[in-house]
Amino acid sequence: MSAPAANALRGKTIYDAKCVECHGASGKGDGPAGPLLSPAPRDFTSAKYKLRTTETGSLPTDADLIASITRGLPGTAMPGWEGILSATEIRDVVEYLKSFSTRFSNEQPQEVVAAEQVANVPAAVARGAGVYEKLQCGKCHGSDGRGTDRVAKTFVDDWGQPLPVANLTEPWTFRGGASPKDVYLRFRTGMSGSPMPSFKDAASDDDMWDLAHYVVSLARKPVWEMNAQEVSAHYARVAADAQADPVKRGEALVATSLCVICHSPVDSDSRILPGLKMAGGTVFRVGPYGDYPATNLTSDKETGIGAYTDAQLKAAITRGEKRDGSRMLPFPMDWAGYSAWNPSDLDAVIAYLRTIPPVRNLVPPSRQPALPVYLWGKFRMLILGQDLPIVILPGNAGSTGAPS
Amino acid sequence: MKRWLKRAALVTGLVGVAAFLAFLYFIPPFLFLAPERFSEPQNSAAPSVDGIADPAERRIAERGRYLVVTSGCIGCHHVPTPQGPDFARYLAGGLKFQTREGTYVSRNLTPDTATGLGRRSDIEVKRVLKSGVFPDGHVVSHRTMPWGSYTAYTEEDLHAIVVYLRHLSPVVHAIPDPQAASPMSTPGAIQEAYGGRDYYTAP
Repeated sequence: MSAPAANALRGKTIYDAKCVECHGASGKGDGPAGPLLSPAPRDFTSAKYKLRTTETGSLPTDADLIASITRGLPGTAMPGWEGILSATEIRDVVEYLKSFSTRFSNEQPQEVVAAEQVANVPAAVARGAGVYEKLQCGKCHGSDGRGTDRVAKTFVDDWGQPLPVANLTEPWTFRGGASPKDVYLRFRTGMSGSPMPSFKDAASDDDMWDLAHYVVSLARKPVWEMNAQEVSAHYARVAADAQADPVKRGEALVATSLCVICHSPVDSDSRILPGLKMAGGTVFRVGPYGDYPATNLTSDKETGIGAYTDAQLKAAITRGEKRDGSRMLPFPMDWAGYSAWNPSDLDAVIAYLRTIPPVRNLVPPSRQPALPVYLWGKFRMLILGQDLPIVILPGNAGSTGAPS
Repeated sequence: MKRWLKRAALVTGLVGVAAFLAFLYFIPPFLFLAPERFSEPQNSAAPSVDGIADPAERRIAERGRYLVVTSGCIGCHHVPTPQGPDFARYLAGGLKFQTREGTYVSRNLTPDTATGLGRRSDIEVKRVLKSGVFPDGHVVSHRTMPWGSYTAYTEEDLHAIVVYLRHLSPVVHAIPDPQAASPMSTPGAIQEAYGGRDYYTAP
């Protein structure tokens, strides 16, 4: 076995333990956690990499891949592996990643020769502001760099997955680092697979350096460096942004409040069943209390929440009161915790839920066991001291077919 | 006289059995209580941030408290008892989860330096929250610890959560490390959560 092949084999062992949850055993970015993540996990079989020091359309160098794994990609779920994996282990993983595409055995990526850096002086920043305008960066990133007045609203990558646009005032989320050289390289080489092109032909090297200095100058203070007044002003602005775009705020809340995990049916490998994200149907077998399938939260009028009024949704989310007047158990649905949402966040959640395209999935009602079975279960818990679990079952208990 | 006694004994016995069955039927979580009787104790158990001296840190921790209360942390990281979660030991962990990957007990999130997050750096805590990578390099399924959902937090909100967790009341509560998978009681289940008993191990 050749040395790279032996390294790739060692890399596979590490990959199968650490990387498959997102990137999948196939390397296509289709691991069980993949559908929850934005940006979506990299598809290694495509050999398209955003963060490169090589010409647009080229493969990344080994050093590029090593840097991404070592430092991680800020603002995404990809952590820095430095301190967890050794340098040798990271090299082995890189060797394995390259084996997902034959391009790596046929092409030799070349690092671009970065032109001499223009000094970072106020004049360069001022010139960079002109370049920002000339290249129409504001169309996507907004004239203020934080997207306020951007023209293009939604972005998708080459795989059709939604892609967040970089907020240029938050350098701690720059995937490839926030030094002027890192930023310059993003203009120079483009970000393959995303709408961010290379500006190699549209701008001179000096222009791109000026632009890099300008973008770096847009940085605002992160909350961990702010004083008390700045923190208050910052949170006021966060609240104003949420008010201005409740659907976006609601989408984030629905993600971070774990709605998607329970209300999307999965297969036995914990992958969301195709087309059924948020369509309910996962069965929770709760100790002696019975089977409780998760509700269809899509906006389908008949089988989802499309016909619910806002008041009905709020009663369900914050008080565990269902539309038919019955009550939810205090678990697994954490309506008690959601009762602490402030009114504008609760409105935002509902605003987002209303935008989920309807998916027909008729979820059966909850099923309580017969009284003797229930009492026997309680007896086992309370008198015999047995610990009866909440069991989560794979598959969809609902029916997606047309009404009969 | 004798007959009367017999009857009395029979009635007492029946009433006793009925009372016992009623006790089994009604013992929590029964749903005749107002929703507030569930949500109020759960949410007010999160310690207040009023005692934090630094005003900037207090405001950030206030945000963190809001995010922790509304993001379901307590659903898994409570100390379970047969009567329900022990909110006095807020976020001290102890609920057992059985999955295909192994047996996990929810960790102690309080700042105790021997058994809680006091021994973890901010980077280590954030790495679990948004990437599911434990300090020892072990990667946990996004269904066991829902990092695939928390990754939607901004870096600044993650920071606020960590700041708040650092201000919880420290609780000594040693949590056993994950164990290799053992068979689940329901074949085909993805996950089982056991909540009636504290899986605390004495340090």
